[in-house]
Amino acid sequence: MLNRFLSLDSLRKKALSKAAPGILHDYLETPLTSKTTQCDDLVIVSLDLETTGLDPEKDKILSFGLVEMRHMTIRLETARHQLISIDGEIPEESAVIHQITDDQAATGIPIEAAMPELLQRLAGKVMLVHYAAIEQNFISTACQKLFGAPFVIPTIDTLVLAQRLFEHRNHTVQPGDLRLFNLRPRYNLPNYKAHNALSDALATAELFLAMASDMVPRPSQCRLNRFLTR
Amino acid sequence: MEIELVEIRDFLAQRPPFDALPEEQLNQLPKSLEIRYLRRGSLFPPSDAMDSFIYILRSGAVELLDEEDNLVEKLGEGGVYTTDCQLIDFGRATHGIAAEDTLIYLLPCSLLKILRKAEPAFDRHFAESIRDRLKQAVRTLQDNGDNGAIAQMTVEVSDLLKKPPVTIDVTASIRQAATLMSEKNVSSVMLMDEGKLAGIITDRDLRKRCVAGDIPPHEPVSRIMTTNLETVQENTLAIQALMTMTRLHVHHLPVKRGDRVVGMLTATDLARHQTTNSAFLASDIRKVETVQELANVSERLPDLQFQLANSNASALHVGEAISSITDSLTIRLIEMAEAELGPPPVPYAWLCGGSQARREQTSHSDQDNALLISDEMKPDHAGYFEALAKRVCDGLNACGYIYCPGNAMASNPKWRQTLQIWRKYFNAWINKPEPMALMLSSIFFDLRPVYGNIEMFHELQTDILNKSRGNGIFTAYMAANALQHRPPLGFFRTFVLIHGGTHDDTFDIKHRGIVPITDIARVFALDQGLPPVNTTERLEAAAETSILSREMGENLVDALEFIASIRIYHQAEQIRKGLKPDNYPSPEALSDLERRHLKDAFRVIQEMQETLENRYQGGHFI
Repeated sequence: MLNRFLSLDSLRKKALSKAAPGILHDYLETPLTSKTTQCDDLVIVSLDLETTGLDPEKDKILSFGLVEMRHMTIRLETARHQLISIDGEIPEESAVIHQITDDQAATGIPIEAAMPELLQRLAGKVMLVHYAAIEQNFISTACQKLFGAPFVIPTIDTLVLAQRLFEHRNHTVQPGDLRLFNLRPRYNLPNYKAHNALSDALATAELFLAMASDMVPRPSQCRLNRFLTR
Repeated sequence: MEIELVEIRDFLAQRPPFDALPEEQLNQLPKSLEIRYLRRGSLFPPSDAMDSFIYILRSGAVELLDEEDNLVEKLGEGGVYTTDCQLIDFGRATHGIAAEDTLIYLLPCSLLKILRKAEPAFDRHFAESIRDRLKQAVRTLQDNGDNGAIAQMTVEVSDLLKKPPVTIDVTASIRQAATLMSEKNVSSVMLMDEGKLAGIITDRDLRKRCVAGDIPPHEPVSRIMTTNLETVQENTLAIQALMTMTRLHVHHLPVKRGDRVVGMLTATDLARHQTTNSAFLASDIRKVETVQELANVSERLPDLQFQLANSNASALHVGEAISSITDSLTIRLIEMAEAELGPPPVPYAWLCGGSQARREQTSHSDQDNALLISDEMKPDHAGYFEALAKRVCDGLNACGYIYCPGNAMASNPKWRQTLQIWRKYFNAWINKPEPMALMLSSIFFDLRPVYGNIEMFHELQTDILNKSRGNGIFTAYMAANALQHRPPLGFFRTFVLIHGGTHDDTFDIKHRGIVPITDIARVFALDQGLPPVNTTERLEAAAETSILSREMGENLVDALEFIASIRIYHQAEQIRKGLKPDNYPSPEALSDLERRHLKDAFRVIQEMQETLENRYQGGHFI
């Protein structure tokens, strides 16, 4: 356990040494949240990206949505949704999922203008994502391209937590079981019709609150390391 | 707003009370929410809440329980829990348990307050639920009384009116009026001048002034009519109308609804209904000749209160009935004193203060009174008024109205003064509000003439109200004073009880429930320059001004009625047991329903006190 945390912090220091002065450098200078932090003292940012595909090298970020949690309470005043403009057309197969049209994307801002806010909102906090590989890789790739260094952040992945819970209870995982909107009904969470970066970030945040109260019923025993997946 | 929060907005938009919010407010609302998740079995509201919120159930279910863990209500999807914002929707539930895994939206009370202020339709939802519950509570209490024996004392004048008003134009001849009276078989007719009541004639007038006098019947009726009429409102108690008649030695009283004439009340109408002990009590007072006899009659007062409480009398009417009897006793004592001492050397008025002035007395309370004497008074007149005051105050004491502990009585030379001196007193109290004035405020800012020169009192009252109206500093002091008595809001779990002494495990319903409302009403009346002295009338008058919303006005009236009813039933029970009535009911003696509604009533007071506190920044002045 200690090992993983140390490696994350050393990754941060390594990245810091590479990063050019500026946004990412400032971000990496901020100490990471300690993994022994009490849940009530945590600031968690639930994040979702919509992308044109799954390959961070080829595909582009279309939007981000995020909402903050403090004291294990979601604060909607922190909710944020940002469309990002891209060069070229949005592939049809991805538009079916995220329902962002070319016209909408045109109202967005370029990725280099969106990254500063995103990094500022995440600095010193914990990132909460459902299936973290996408967000981690797309943001990291963007950071490499724009600032010359990777992106490092302590992460909670609700998909990984769900997987662990299924294994722990000796449940066989059926295809689709681990998808965000199939997990939510298990915790009596409502169905959201909309699918965009912000509503998915909110849906993930609610799912995490439910899972956390299930995994650690006593708030006094609730610490970050119980949930960290990276 | 982030358009993606539309889903939350739409969820709220479908549900009361949020469906009453306009679109722009609804669009802003989601941004102000917080979201929490409660596992099945966890405490609701969450014990670690950082602030006070109203809770909206997004999914799941919560069971609301009372202090003994009895299920009171189950909230499902869309359910709203407002108790922590001191509203009254689930006033009877003290806590809850998440019956399922539950997702809740939290809306800060501070924002709710702003929304209620800004959106009347939204606010109405909360006000209505409070009002309905209190109204229902009062009705239930009254229905529990003995329906078979409706107290005659609570009969209103309108109940006795059998015929529509008989009127004729003031220009008619005496003969025309007489013909109309015999056609309609009535003993009087009201004379109208352009729709307004100009005077009346009775068959006595016809006999004395026309037939036996020398005015011929073709002369206009106005020549023999009585003008300068005393009238009563249709909701006046019959007992009060009876006393007005006895006082004025008349047999007819025009009855009005507002300014409109709705009928004529006759002594015969009243006599038909004068069959109960209570009505006899009033007429017996008129007949007695000695203080000892008066004291004997007065001993029946607790019985009267008991009877009233056991009929469906409202607390308002009981207070009026008891105060009327006290008035009668006082008047009889003054008449007896005048008979002994001779007529007064200069005009004066006997003023009562406190609960008698407000017509809110229960059984025997302390006496509060004062003498207002004409400025024509000479130093050698002082002896007459001293003797008069001593006789009346001693008489009242003998009748069970014990001497005022603060010596606020006409027998105290300080409170036996000319109009000029009284003006100076009030001038000083209003311009330099000192603790003394505030202490006396509940007595002397609630004054009512019982006997004598009423015009002189009105002069004084007009002067007082002119000085107090819109007087910010004075009102702030009075408001701060009105906030000294707080309702016991920990009613359910930690009821504030008096320990030690004779009132073990009881609470002071007068100072914790009734006084806060009378104090608030007084602040409004003085601030707005409103003449009424009765608390209910003050609140009704204030609700017509900008100082008090109609909803809050009605809530306060209902709260007072309910709390006062509790006191009256408590005292009735003591009277039945042969105990001396007091103001200390035991919470255990109350039914669950009564406790619930008492808490509602207390919350109405608290809400009003908070508003006062904000408005006058009360508390900073003292």
